[in-house]
Amino acid sequence: MRDFILKRAAALILPFIFVYGIYVILHGAVSPGGSFAGGIIVGLSFVAFATIYGIEKGKAKLPEQVLVWTESYGTLWYGLMGMVGLGRGVPFLANKLAGVDLGTPGTLASGGLIPLIGLGVGIRVASTIVTLFFTMMEEES
Amino acid sequence: MTALLRANLPVLVVIAPLFIAFILTPLARRIRLVETLAFLATVLGLGAAGHLATVVFARRGSPFIYQLGGWPPPWGIELVAGNLGVIFALVVTGVSVPVVLFARGNLTAEVGDTGRVTRFYVLYLLLVGALAGMAVTNDLFNIYVLVEVVTLSCCGLVSARRHPRAAEAAFTYLILATLGSAFVLGGIGLIYMLTGHLNMGFAGQELGRVWPDYPHTVLLAVSFVIIGFGVKAAVFPLHVWLPDAHATAPSPASAILSGLAVKGYLLCLLKFLYGVFGGVLLRELAVHRILTLLGVAGIIAGSLLALTQEELKRRLAYSTVAQVGYLVLGGGLLNATGLTGALFYLASHAVIKATLFLAAGAIQAATGKSRIRELAGVGRKMPLTMAAFTIGSCGLIGLPLFFGFIGKWYLLVGSLEAGMILPVVAILAGSVLCAAYLLPVIRTAYFRPAPAVAWRDPGRPQKLALLLLATAVVVLGVRPGPFLELARKAAAELMAFV
Amino acid sequence: MNELWPRLLVNYPYLAAAILFVIGTFTVLTHPNLFKKLLGINIMESAIFLTFVASGNIRGGVAPIRATANAEAVYINPLPSALMLTGIVVSVSVTAFALALIVRLYRVYGTTDLRRIVVRRKEVTGDDGFAQG
Repeated sequence: MRDFILKRAAALILPFIFVYGIYVILHGAVSPGGSFAGGIIVGLSFVAFATIYGIEKGKAKLPEQVLVWTESYGTLWYGLMGMVGLGRGVPFLANKLAGVDLGTPGTLASGGLIPLIGLGVGIRVASTIVTLFFTMMEEES
Repeated sequence: MTALLRANLPVLVVIAPLFIAFILTPLARRIRLVETLAFLATVLGLGAAGHLATVVFARRGSPFIYQLGGWPPPWGIELVAGNLGVIFALVVTGVSVPVVLFARGNLTAEVGDTGRVTRFYVLYLLLVGALAGMAVTNDLFNIYVLVEVVTLSCCGLVSARRHPRAAEAAFTYLILATLGSAFVLGGIGLIYMLTGHLNMGFAGQELGRVWPDYPHTVLLAVSFVIIGFGVKAAVFPLHVWLPDAHATAPSPASAILSGLAVKGYLLCLLKFLYGVFGGVLLRELAVHRILTLLGVAGIIAGSLLALTQEELKRRLAYSTVAQVGYLVLGGGLLNATGLTGALFYLASHAVIKATLFLAAGAIQAATGKSRIRELAGVGRKMPLTMAAFTIGSCGLIGLPLFFGFIGKWYLLVGSLEAGMILPVVAILAGSVLCAAYLLPVIRTAYFRPAPAVAWRDPGRPQKLALLLLATAVVVLGVRPGPFLELARKAAAELMAFV
Repeated sequence: MNELWPRLLVNYPYLAAAILFVIGTFTVLTHPNLFKKLLGINIMESAIFLTFVASGNIRGGVAPIRATANAEAVYINPLPSALMLTGIVVSVSVTAFALALIVRLYRVYGTTDLRRIVVRRKEVTGDDGFAQG
């Protein structure tokens, strides 16, 4: 696409969309939204980039290998966070019981492991959305 | 370390395959490593399930309760590993080992390049982990999530084959299975609205109290659950997707879909009907009569349809419809003997159908033929494969001293105990029909002259897989003792709700 | 019988859900176009989500966040909404997967109409051992 206005506008807006997605992911523990919604926003910022600047540039920004890694290890991260408590003799996915400091309610760092888990899920969702988009575009050509 | 493992066994059975599934994708280039890891994952799962069995056995009937995140019910998700969970976890992990062994180095022809093969293994391990989760979970919504994981990975496995028919079958399967999930979720929603609980134990107790006040809602919930799981488990009139999906999937996938995935949904159905709705409600709504009738219809119609199929894998797929009929029938008898039979038959059918599908897959791969009449002489050219197929057939027909016999026997006795004559006729007729559709295959393979071509037994891992499964069919048929005991205890667990 | 209509109108989300569910099921089962089938599935699932979310709602209730609500506020039940988020994620994955399959089928058969696919099956795939038995 050779649309000058679209490209300039995207260059201005997309970084903010991306950061907003990260914001939603990290604040999932204290406000509506969360890792899935935020991950979709992050993923869509890349999808928008790839539609406006072309698939090739999009793929240069996020190579397939990176997507494969984030997709797998994002989920693995969730599992590893779940295992934090196991060594202390508390069950899988324990949070407060595992001795994690929960902080003061309402602040960003108040969910214990939840924001960390959310980060993994968000990364995974974002890379899945981008992978889906790339796959569908490939199927067409 | 061992204490740590022991304390977390119920969740380890589930997450061991899942964990390994998620490290496989980046390793796609090193396919040998992927295959070994997948094999290790299933072996780990089997080890965990075996250990869990000994732990639960040592507890003498009181189930191993595990609270995820340390949240007690009714708030948290609870895993309950009783005898019922243990028997199903053992079946799932036990059958998954030989199947993954069979797939080793054998998928390229059916599936494609290493990336696709890796994806096959990822889906396979997700399926195994989710099925093991179904065995132990005690939470309604958790069941829905696991059902969806199983459904999506099954559809992925069916569509893994590079063939237009596979995509078509996968689409039909996906649409109907999602229809089923929507019904299941609707049923769960109604139960939640009536009881305010998602924990099965609490929901069941509460439902027992409130159902006289909301008879229509309860009726709706029961029918949603039965239709939902009925579509997914291919209970007779809702089976239309199964033959296409199971016949077009790659052979290891067919084995696991027919052997395990369908059983997972049936187990969930049993958990819902007995654990949540309870025997009083089932009798009141005559659900058990409906199940018995569905089972009888399934046995007869599935067997007759299998008889008309010309292709080996399609015949086996229709045979699964018939065998699901036995399990539904056993669930509807509402007595301990019938349930023991159903649970035991569930295990034997999982092993036997995996044997048959793997043998059929090996034959199809070696000969390139799928029609039964083209398989003349296969028995002499591929002795081991055909021997495994024959042993599997004997088991499925229900000959004494094979794995399938005891389950059918208990179902028969259970029907007599329930005072119903129709199921007895159906079970016997089913066995005769089963012989009628499997024995011609064996006759063609052994007693017809072979064409002058070089058909060979498959490679070493495939032979080992077939050998393991066929041995299991014989050994567990001759010495069913401990396994039968487990099935009996699991049935007693379910009967406690009646 | 007299009080049926007022009761139905008070519980209008459930009525809407029931209607949507029937529309969705009917579309899935009867429509030959693959896309329409997928849409039917989505409508059905929306109906279920609506039932769930409506069951958690209390009229005049507030979001269960302690920091922003006053002491005597009635909280709505957040659990069904949270569960339905999972349901929506599942529905998104099903839709994505089904779309990928539709693309694959379209490239082989050149149509998304099930009836035409059945007609073209023989000529496109040939008799390769997958004939209908």
